Amino acid sequence: MKEHAAIKLDNVIHQKTRLGIISILMTAAEADFNYLKERLNLSDGNLSTHLSFLEKAKYIKIKKKFVKKKPKTLCQLTEKGRTAFSEYIKNLEQIIQTVPQKFN
Amino acid sequence: MTEDQHQEALESIRLIKDLVIESKKEIRMAGGGWIAIIWGLFCYAGLIGQRLLIPHGPLMGVWWLGLSLIALTATFMLVKHQTKSQPAKPRYPYMRYMAVFWVPLIILAYTLCMFCVFLPELSRDYIPIFILLVISTGYVMLGFMFVKEILVIGIVGFISTILTAIFFLEYSDIILNLLFGTGLIIFGILANRKWKNL
Repeated sequence: MKEHAAIKLDNVIHQKTRLGIISILMTAAEADFNYLKERLNLSDGNLSTHLSFLEKAKYIKIKKKFVKKKPKTLCQLTEKGRTAFSEYIKNLEQIIQTVPQKFN
Repeated sequence: MTEDQHQEALESIRLIKDLVIESKKEIRMAGGGWIAIIWGLFCYAGLIGQRLLIPHGPLMGVWWLGLSLIALTATFMLVKHQTKSQPAKPRYPYMRYMAVFWVPLIILAYTLCMFCVFLPELSRDYIPIFILLVISTGYVMLGFMFVKEILVIGIVGFISTILTAIFFLEYSDIILNLLFGTGLIIFGILANRKWKNL
């Protein structure tokens, strides 16, 4: 039996906040923690949790550095993350192309 | 496949599209507002200098050339600073591409100016017209590639340059410098407000 497209959706990415983080990181070489926080309208704690989740999955790399004596947390998408995101998009397209059945 | 799954997939695609488009625009436009302000002030300063130096003929050319070098240096320094401090760095060096994009257009504009200076058939009144037609073409091209605000500046610039050339050629330097200067400064202020995160 052919595997259903919905089953193949990556659970690490298939969560609105994490999907937002990865979408932004797809367009940038690297992004600052505060930039992601403002862009996605998240609290520090909430963003940290999701970033740790993505880092554990090795989808992103987190670097800490000092710029003008101020600590900065920089996030970067890894090759694994980029491939996973492309795969995720392919699966979404597959789902969209499939005509949905209504359950009565 | 249920309708819920289908709907959810559509929503995810919409979210990705919105975020990717907006972030790309924001990251590419970083510093763009200040660059527009620099070149808007360049138009004003150029016009003031030109009006004061009219009796001294060739000094006008030196004034514009010197001012262009100052504006180019300021733009270069701003881009360098922006690249260092930007909270979300672009994947590709857009600003470098922008420089490569503008240099041939600036050379073209200066060549046309030289024709106006050295060919007796061409009036010097056409100098601002040629420069601004080339600049407007640049904006239109950039507008298609980046944001619609730049496209609007390009189209308005193109139309107003042609109208000025037809109806008010002798006042073209005043009209066009004020129009472009004001347009660029307003765009710069609006861009800095809109993309304030960067």
